Amino acid sequence: MNVNSLAVPGFSSDVRAFWAVVRREWTVFVRYPSWIVSLLIWPIIFPMGYLLTARALSGVDGSGLTTFQNTTGLTDYVGYIAVGTMIWMWQNIVLWSVGYSLRNEQMRGTLESNWLSPTWRFSYLLGSSVPQMVSMITLLVVSGLEYALFFGVKFNGSILLTILVILASIPAVYGLGFAFASIVITMKEANAFVFLVRGIVMIFCGITYPMAMLPAWMQATAQWLPQTYIIHAVRTASLSTEGFAGISHDLSMILFFGVIWLAIGYVLFVVMERRARKTGAIGQY
Amino acid sequence: MSDFAIEASQLVKKFPARAGTGDKPAEGAAPTPKRKPWWQRGKKEPQAMFTAVNGVDLQIKRGEIFGLLGPNGAGKSTTIRMLCTLLEPTSGTARVNGFDTVKNANDVRRSLGTVLAGERSIYWKLSGRENLEYFAALYHIPAAIAKKRVDELIERMEIKDRANELVEKYSTGMRQRIAIAKALLARPPILLLDEPTLGLDPQAARNLRELIATLKEEGHTILLTTHYMEEADQLSDRIGIIDTGKVIALDTPENLKQRINQKEIIRLELTGWHDDLGDRLKEITGVETLTTHQQGEADLWEVNMHSNNSRATLPRIVEAISGNGTRLVNMNIVKPSLEDVFIQLTGKALRD
Repeated sequence: MNVNSLAVPGFSSDVRAFWAVVRREWTVFVRYPSWIVSLLIWPIIFPMGYLLTARALSGVDGSGLTTFQNTTGLTDYVGYIAVGTMIWMWQNIVLWSVGYSLRNEQMRGTLESNWLSPTWRFSYLLGSSVPQMVSMITLLVVSGLEYALFFGVKFNGSILLTILVILASIPAVYGLGFAFASIVITMKEANAFVFLVRGIVMIFCGITYPMAMLPAWMQATAQWLPQTYIIHAVRTASLSTEGFAGISHDLSMILFFGVIWLAIGYVLFVVMERRARKTGAIGQY
Repeated sequence: MSDFAIEASQLVKKFPARAGTGDKPAEGAAPTPKRKPWWQRGKKEPQAMFTAVNGVDLQIKRGEIFGLLGPNGAGKSTTIRMLCTLLEPTSGTARVNGFDTVKNANDVRRSLGTVLAGERSIYWKLSGRENLEYFAALYHIPAAIAKKRVDELIERMEIKDRANELVEKYSTGMRQRIAIAKALLARPPILLLDEPTLGLDPQAARNLRELIATLKEEGHTILLTTHYMEEADQLSDRIGIIDTGKVIALDTPENLKQRINQKEIIRLELTGWHDDLGDRLKEITGVETLTTHQQGEADLWEVNMHSNNSRATLPRIVEAISGNGTRLVNMNIVKPSLEDVFIQLTGKALRD
């Protein structure tokens, strides 16, 4: 007796498979309700330490803020720090969640059963990032609302331009996450790298202080990090009234690095996936 | 189209030997030289390799159930992983449904339904139905057909009442049924079942064996690995016995048993077993292979010996075990089973 397969390969089947990965990831994500707590609490707790330090250093009457204003052109140091920490938080969460998405599948034992199917392999990484993006955009919106409500931050800039910068930042932020995810499939352990990268972003990209505070060589190095442009652009778009002219250079650099990091992420994925098939790393946990 | 569903020719898989894991270098591999200081290093030192699969040849006919048997570490999982494209062979070739496992990997994946890692291969935070719908999309089954197929498999696996519950609430047997339903989704011509009855209660295992037999009747080719000899004996049309990365015997269960039919199995049950006694029994002329295993927690041991002439050997065996605190509880001379064939060929029991 002949067995006739029900599979119908083709582009539309690949699109449906990608969508199935998105739906699966979203369903599993919402079934762990602790994410709601993180969503509400983290944006307030994380910048608090920096804000209190800044308040202490600026003096009781706030006289120290003149220096801050001269260096940054902004009077709202709370908004300045809040935006910087918000972007850092975004990149940090992407490194942990997207960076470890395949590794988590590997530890659960489901990576092999996904890999046994004829679906385009990059779909698993790309598809699992979509719900993560949605939750992160929600986090950014909640953060903005909480900063306005609890810290009194006045977002004098343009909401549309802020959204534009955040959307343009997705390739750079997630490209780095894809590169991490690919390395983690074979290396299994990337905590040290995550700590290194987020430390570099924290120090070099000026999440809580102006770049002018840094020595020249650190400022030069920061020009090679997309997060430097993202933080600057989001601050300009949301806190100042400079408009598109104030972010156009940052935007082009963000898109440039986005293309570079997406390409690095994809190439690393292909190389590491092949390597994992040779070494047997797919099934090891 | 080839008569064979699966063909492997001189399949070899080597892994770098990991320090401290007990991986032995492959036969003929150069020993790892002592590490020189970095300033004296020239060319990269050759890395010691561990050979998991060492020249496996297989030809599995369409429509047959082929049992692959071997003790832990024999190379059967590595062989299965190469056949289902999770691993690339170091050398040699394998074809599944006529497709090369390296060059046409996606065609191979479309031809296969695989059960690996059993209950861990599905999502515990999804329901049984959600799991099947998800994998149906991954296997490129059109949406309209997928819905019907999922319903059909839920019915067939007898999980209709609990199909919408999360898998984390299922028993091991139910999870295993979802894993098998997942493998059957796209109705692939070839099924690779790696230890499908592992961890199942006797009733669930019996139901699964019946299902496997039905799948063969429906025309599927099945490659089955198992630790249970009776299962392999009952289900398989042919059996390949793999040990230390090589297929050391390949035939029908009947022919394999025929090989040692002229031999007898002396089975003893005794208390007070000690290793010296094993050495004394092995020295007796006529005793060929000896295996032991403790039965449960108690000090009761089963000892199996192969012999050409039990009449001549028995008195010496009884003499050897008397004294030293050893007590003979039971003694039988039995017909060789597939397990005995395995012991004769590999010198160890399947669960060693």
